[in-house]
Amino acid sequence: MPLLTLATFLPILGGLALMALPVRSARVAHGISIGVTGLTFLITVVIWSRGIVAGDFAQVEEIAWIPAIGAAYRLGLDGLSLPLVLLTSLLFLASAVYSARIGERAASYVVLMLMLETASLGTFMALDGLLFYVFFEVSLVGMYFMIAGWGYEERQRAALMFFLYTLLGSLPLLLAIIGLYLGSGTFDMRAWIGAPPLTGLAAMLALIAMLITFAVKIPVFPVHTWLPAAHVQAPTAGSVILAGVMLKFGTYGLVRFALQMTPDAFAQAGQVILAFGVVAALYGAFAALAQSDLKKMIAYTSVNHMGYVVIGVAVAALSLDPEIRVIALDGATLQMVSHGLVTGALFFLVGMLQDRAHKRDMADFGGLLTRVPWLGWTFILAAFASLGLPGLAHFPAEFQIFLATLNAAPWAIVAILAIVVTAGLYLRAIAAVFLGPENESWAAMPDLDRREKLAVVPLLILTILVGVAPGWLIDMIHTTMASLSF
Amino acid sequence: MARDLAFLFPELLLGATAMLMIVAEMARAARLVLAIGLAGLALSTLLTLQVLNADTTVFGGTYRIDLIAGWAKLILLPGTGLALLMARSEIAGQAREGSVYALICLVTLGALMLAGGGDMMLLVLGVVLTGLGSFALVAFPRDDAATEAAMKYLVFGAVTGSVMIYGLTFWFGGAGSTLFSELGMLEGKNLIAMVGLIAVIVGLGYKAALVPFHFWAPDAYDGAPVSVAAYLSVITKAAAFFAFAQVLRDLPPATGWPLVLALISAATMTYGYLAALVQTNLVRLIAYSSVAQSGYFLMGVVALGVSPMAVPGIILFAAAYVAMNLGAFAIVMGAGQTLDDLTGLGRTRPWAGVAMVVFLLSLTGIPPLFGFVGKVYLFTGAVEAGFLWLVVIGILNSVLALGVYLRIVVPMYRSADAPVAWNPSALLAGVLIVTTLITLVMSVFAGIFPT
Repeated sequence: MPLLTLATFLPILGGLALMALPVRSARVAHGISIGVTGLTFLITVVIWSRGIVAGDFAQVEEIAWIPAIGAAYRLGLDGLSLPLVLLTSLLFLASAVYSARIGERAASYVVLMLMLETASLGTFMALDGLLFYVFFEVSLVGMYFMIAGWGYEERQRAALMFFLYTLLGSLPLLLAIIGLYLGSGTFDMRAWIGAPPLTGLAAMLALIAMLITFAVKIPVFPVHTWLPAAHVQAPTAGSVILAGVMLKFGTYGLVRFALQMTPDAFAQAGQVILAFGVVAALYGAFAALAQSDLKKMIAYTSVNHMGYVVIGVAVAALSLDPEIRVIALDGATLQMVSHGLVTGALFFLVGMLQDRAHKRDMADFGGLLTRVPWLGWTFILAAFASLGLPGLAHFPAEFQIFLATLNAAPWAIVAILAIVVTAGLYLRAIAAVFLGPENESWAAMPDLDRREKLAVVPLLILTILVGVAPGWLIDMIHTTMASLSF
Repeated sequence: MARDLAFLFPELLLGATAMLMIVAEMARAARLVLAIGLAGLALSTLLTLQVLNADTTVFGGTYRIDLIAGWAKLILLPGTGLALLMARSEIAGQAREGSVYALICLVTLGALMLAGGGDMMLLVLGVVLTGLGSFALVAFPRDDAATEAAMKYLVFGAVTGSVMIYGLTFWFGGAGSTLFSELGMLEGKNLIAMVGLIAVIVGLGYKAALVPFHFWAPDAYDGAPVSVAAYLSVITKAAAFFAFAQVLRDLPPATGWPLVLALISAATMTYGYLAALVQTNLVRLIAYSSVAQSGYFLMGVVALGVSPMAVPGIILFAAAYVAMNLGAFAIVMGAGQTLDDLTGLGRTRPWAGVAMVVFLLSLTGIPPLFGFVGKVYLFTGAVEAGFLWLVVIGILNSVLALGVYLRIVVPMYRSADAPVAWNPSALLAGVLIVTTLITLVMSVFAGIFPT
């Protein structure tokens, strides 16, 4: 059974089926949405159970597409992509559950979400350069319409900024892909990884092109400015997908393309890339500290957390000790998953708060913990996870990243300052919103209902699970990272 | 002789069809004219399949039956059929209706000559044949705007045509033959080669609406019926690029022509999109966007002879361009000619909205739409030919393009103040379905195109 293909295209097929239905009420639309994303999640779990292999891509599915130029439909998995695939299908399922209350043009909303899921899964599983680019860009279009159609007050401007920024950002990748093709005569990513086709100046130019693309996507300071705008204006599920899944395109690409396909150039530029990661981590933390808008604050902590991933990947390229490299890459990959779980949960919770209050400025709240204990405690748990508390998902990831950093590039350890800042800002947010004197305006605020708990609790359980016993996840990642040769 | 004629069946049939159409028009039987035209185009397309894989010339090398000519027919003939259907749904019942159909088929015959010509005389013939019919088509509405547009178009065409003929005499003198295949004789005679090249750029650049020979295009498209604008913007333009490919692939690159064309390509796409950014009339907006698309087409021409992606790129992009531009014009025909007319279209008519979004994103070059595959080929060819800077400009312009096309898309999903006028005829709906499907799924089948 071509399960990878099935998982990738089931969502969009569900969307097409919905478009073709004569009745497209909100109920039917959300029913289809939850059913399809649930089934997709199950398929990815089966894919997981089939396992991966060390040193190669597993479960490869391949069909000729444009044989004359060596482009084919190729999907496959390794320890880098499989965790992200699982994360993607889980977050889309949670988003579908959460979104079930949306009544405004529900059918179009669901179709866009399902199209986004196909694009996201395809991006992580594609093993063909051209196919990767196709999925990568389709996700852009889907997110543009999602923000423009269902976002908040300034959605048009934010959506346009997002689209122009990331389109301009992603086109250099096309140049790099063309360069890799001209160097090898095929679009097969396995061939590009196995024997990097470019050397010298060409490799460096290709690397710079890729770095531009992925830096915008991750995002890295100074090309992060689209992120707060897009996050603040996006509908809640849009924010969750944007932060939980689409930012990972950037870090995934950083490893899959930049590190694996232009390894020598990456090692030469390692210190520069590392510096960008350190600046992003610090800048993201301090910028988050300056926010009073909860959604913006979480958006900036994403810049901080993704900065750690960049640090991890750069350290892996710089280090000469194979063990340190593996630790750095294990940590960086785990950090992608942790960030998806934790930030996904945080955006859900802020969205739920906003659904109730139609506000999201910390100063507007106070003492909510007694009023809405479920919302309060889940937020506190997620916030603690986000600041890197041991026993929660970010800790094992960040620990490995900093461990490797200390070994390979000690100066970059200054980034650890950001953890202190993040701790401060989360404690401040918790104090302002959930502790202190109760704000009487919210006396009637209802606590989380069943649907909302269903969306957010699984993410938090996994956050704890990854924090306490990360072995099952790290083993999967480690299988691939330990056999990487770059 | 018999062999040569056999290879020309598609062209001969189209010519005969056009004559028959004129006869039927004399009887004022517009529906019959249309039926003959559609049947002739369909049959001619089928006959093309027979000679698609041939690679030969007929009549002493003057006419080429090769990859470019074969695929040109396969793209231009069905494209003309779609344009006929659009014309029918726009001007049905008007006087001289049948003449439009007949003229369209005659212009397409000229377009095929441009795409297959292997000789300077045929190039001139193609330019004149497409030109004469087009002037009359633009003037069809007989109002002031159309007359002015047709006059501009005619004067511009006459001047550029003369310049081209004048310059071609240099090539004839230098190479000693009117055959393109003998252009290699110009090796070392750079001045002569350059004069002729400039003349060809002027003549074909006018047909293709390249900057700075594009001035007629917005006026002509705006003055003409929308369906005629749609037709001219795709068929004669694509033909001009096929002609470029036929002429230039035999010209020694030492003359520096690729650089000249690369500069024109960069100027054309940049100017086209910048001008499109400020238009409020949709026909003019798409006219300028078509100018910009010519710049991308030209990237394929720049890479001719160096990159194996050049010719397939031109063919693929032509196929994509015909589908997506016809589709965008079809939406304009159904909804109205100003930006405001589209307000709310996407909300009240979701399918029409989706179709327009598909066309515009494809024109931008967003995957997985057909236009993207075409652009990948063109970009790859240009990089391989050493024009990385041109590809970078093309990429930057894609962002400009997005700005242009989002100006159309964004209001489509705003709620409309006034009811949206959207009453497409069955024919127009059919054209939309076909063009949308081609734009949407052809990238999956891009493997069938030649490489």
